[in-house]
Amino acid sequence: MESLVRLKNVTVRYRSNGRRYLTAVSNVDLGVSPGEFVAVVGRSGCGKTTLLKVVAGLIKPDEGEVAYSERFFNGSKKKIGVMFQSPLLLPWRNVLENILLPIEIIGEDPANYVERALILMERTGLRGFEYSYPWELSGGMQQRVALCRALIHRPQLLLLDEPFSSLDAITREEMWVLLESVFLYENYTTLLVTHDIREAVLLSDRVVVMSGKPGRVKTEVEIPFKRPRNISLQYSKEFNEYVAKIKSMLSE
Amino acid sequence: MGSSKDVKNVFSAVIVLLLTLAIWELSTYVVKIPRYVLPPPSSVIEATARYSNYLLENLLNTLAHAVAGLALAAVFSLLLSLLLAYSEVVREVVSPLVAGFNAIPRAALVPLLALWFGLGSLPRVLTSFLIAFYPILIPTLTAMVTVEKELWEMLVSFGASKKQILVKVAIPRSMPYFLSSLHMGLASALVGTVIAEMIASDRGLGYVILSSTSRLDTPLAFSCLTLLAFTAFSLSKILGVVEKRAVRWAYRVST
Repeated sequence: MESLVRLKNVTVRYRSNGRRYLTAVSNVDLGVSPGEFVAVVGRSGCGKTTLLKVVAGLIKPDEGEVAYSERFFNGSKKKIGVMFQSPLLLPWRNVLENILLPIEIIGEDPANYVERALILMERTGLRGFEYSYPWELSGGMQQRVALCRALIHRPQLLLLDEPFSSLDAITREEMWVLLESVFLYENYTTLLVTHDIREAVLLSDRVVVMSGKPGRVKTEVEIPFKRPRNISLQYSKEFNEYVAKIKSMLSE
Repeated sequence: MGSSKDVKNVFSAVIVLLLTLAIWELSTYVVKIPRYVLPPPSSVIEATARYSNYLLENLLNTLAHAVAGLALAAVFSLLLSLLLAYSEVVREVVSPLVAGFNAIPRAALVPLLALWFGLGSLPRVLTSFLIAFYPILIPTLTAMVTVEKELWEMLVSFGASKKQILVKVAIPRSMPYFLSSLHMGLASALVGTVIAEMIASDRGLGYVILSSTSRLDTPLAFSCLTLLAFTAFSLSKILGVVEKRAVRWAYRVST
């Protein structure tokens, strides 16, 4: 199947201390098919965030190229939704206004998206908080707002950079369930970068394992569990075999 | 706001002020300091009452010029910081020039301004503006150019242009800094106006201070000082109220 986005032989170098170059990622080939949920796992500093930034168009690769499918991005403007480790909400805007920010950026009328925002808020358990301000919400709630904001403009590609790593274990599991349900409702093509192997196995169709210094794709593991996936899946024997297998690949 | 604790604080401040004035009043009699060196508070009050119309007229005159200078400084600083925040190239060229200009003692420019524009309002407003704009420009500009990298990257991922980031993020985030810098700007604007009045004017409290001290009418000069302090204090309080209302979010005040 044609990839929605494909990295071909991508190498990225950072200049450190002015003259020495540090290779962040080296010769990475990675394709994400439409509707697929791909997770990239690796230790801290293995270049997985760099990879995500390349896909988002924030970093130009020094070698290789990023190819976006013309067919799926309808030629014109590619719509990407992003969510990072911190919610990055604007404190002068209430929850609803924060969620509608991407609409203003793509130059459409926010009024036409209020209904969709309310539906997303309903699904993420945020109803009733439309006019609250970010600082009035807990960390988990703030991340839900960030998720709604990432989805409001119906992006063709959703990029998640360790979105739940700053949350406590219980809230994190809630967010997994939430993301799974949203993924089923709207079926986004998703690229998730994480160091949490359980998170990757639970949510994704395919786990890309990276090794560090410089970052390379070590191997890929297909995750065959049927959707909708349940949080109790993580207690099954098969699930834990996948987790153990990926963990051993990471520590090699 | 308006809690019993605030009332208590104001009350104790007033007590301390009254005590200070009483000690001052007594010591001028006990030590026999001449009135033209250090007038007792009673004589300052007397002078204020005697010249009340004259003082009010000149106070309003000073105030009008200081506020005009401040308004000019606020608008100019906001526009300049927008331009400097938008273009890094312009920022690198213009910033050292502005900083260099700020190093000139602005009081030294008053004779030139008077030479160019006469003894009317313009030199006073300009001096006030020239002193007041820098303390407003710097915090505002800093707030505009220090948008978090992650936030910036998120906005770019959503497809935001530089102009959009400026409008949606940089400007709103700079507002609390801009508004609080107006306090400093206000004090500077008053200093500017008074200096200009002392050097090149025939009205305003600065002029009154100069003319009264030359006649050794020190109580009147003290009266002017008190009025200036009181005015600056009151205006700053009003500004504070406006500020807290306009940027409620910055104080994380829930509605």
